Amino acid sequence: MYAFFTLIAGACQSAMASLNGMLTDHVGMFGMSLMVHAIGGALLILYMKTVTREKLKITGMPWYLYSAGFFGIFLVVSSSYSIGILGVSVTTCISITGQLVISAVIDHFGWFGVPKVPFQPKRLPCFALILAGLIIINLS
Amino acid sequence: MAFVLTVAFVNGCATVISKMINYRCTKVLGTNNGSLVNYVVASVLSLILLLVSSHFKVDLYAYAQAPWWLYLGGVFGIIAFLISMVTLTRLKVMESTILLLVGQLTAGILFDTFFFHNISPKKLLGIALVAVGIIWDNRISSAEREKSKSGA
Repeated sequence: MYAFFTLIAGACQSAMASLNGMLTDHVGMFGMSLMVHAIGGALLILYMKTVTREKLKITGMPWYLYSAGFFGIFLVVSSSYSIGILGVSVTTCISITGQLVISAVIDHFGWFGVPKVPFQPKRLPCFALILAGLIIINLS
Repeated sequence: MAFVLTVAFVNGCATVISKMINYRCTKVLGTNNGSLVNYVVASVLSLILLLVSSHFKVDLYAYAQAPWWLYLGGVFGIIAFLISMVTLTRLKVMESTILLLVGQLTAGILFDTFFFHNISPKKLLGIALVAVGIIWDNRISSAEREKSKSGA
């Protein structure tokens, strides 16, 4: 059951990315980013007020953690830009490849204070397979 | 072409860094408030960027012209967020990563077929190879994770 819901969550992410891509054609990237974040934020506040009955509090963090919002904008703008050109599934493939590569680099060097995990050479065939897939996509 | 590929790749890199930042926000403020920060800061910043980039002349007619269902992106985002809150602690990291990927790609291929009309058999083959590579890599690295956990 949880597995099924996780599948649905993945599908929701794709749905969101597709809709954002199409909305950008109408209102531009910053207009899209504003609508997506304002609607999402309003729903989250509604959920916190009615379901979890929490107090809203967003102050008192170290200043650099507020860069979360900057990343939020960059993520929706960059994904809808590439979806407009590459489509949803190809954008997802490349984006997840980027996630794998940066995670491997962060783990290998222990950046941002994460525990150092040296890169495993036996992961190379997997990366080769991913690269082969991306090349085939590019050729089509 | 090279530019858009780079953008998609950097999008993935930024996703990881953003997840690390969001995780630290939720450690300070709790799960929901920590996620709310992202929405509030991003909304304010987007509004400023929108106003500046349009020289304070926002074409409100364009917003009314857009079909209403295009605005559901934020709704789907929140649904995905709430589901992952519930399921993440109940599934293994490897399971949830693979399930999310399969859900994303399956829906992605459907949307590409019906909305963007840009799917070909060759592309499907490439996507399948990428998915197998990601799942295979996931198995290796999560086996390593288990080993280092039991070793420690």
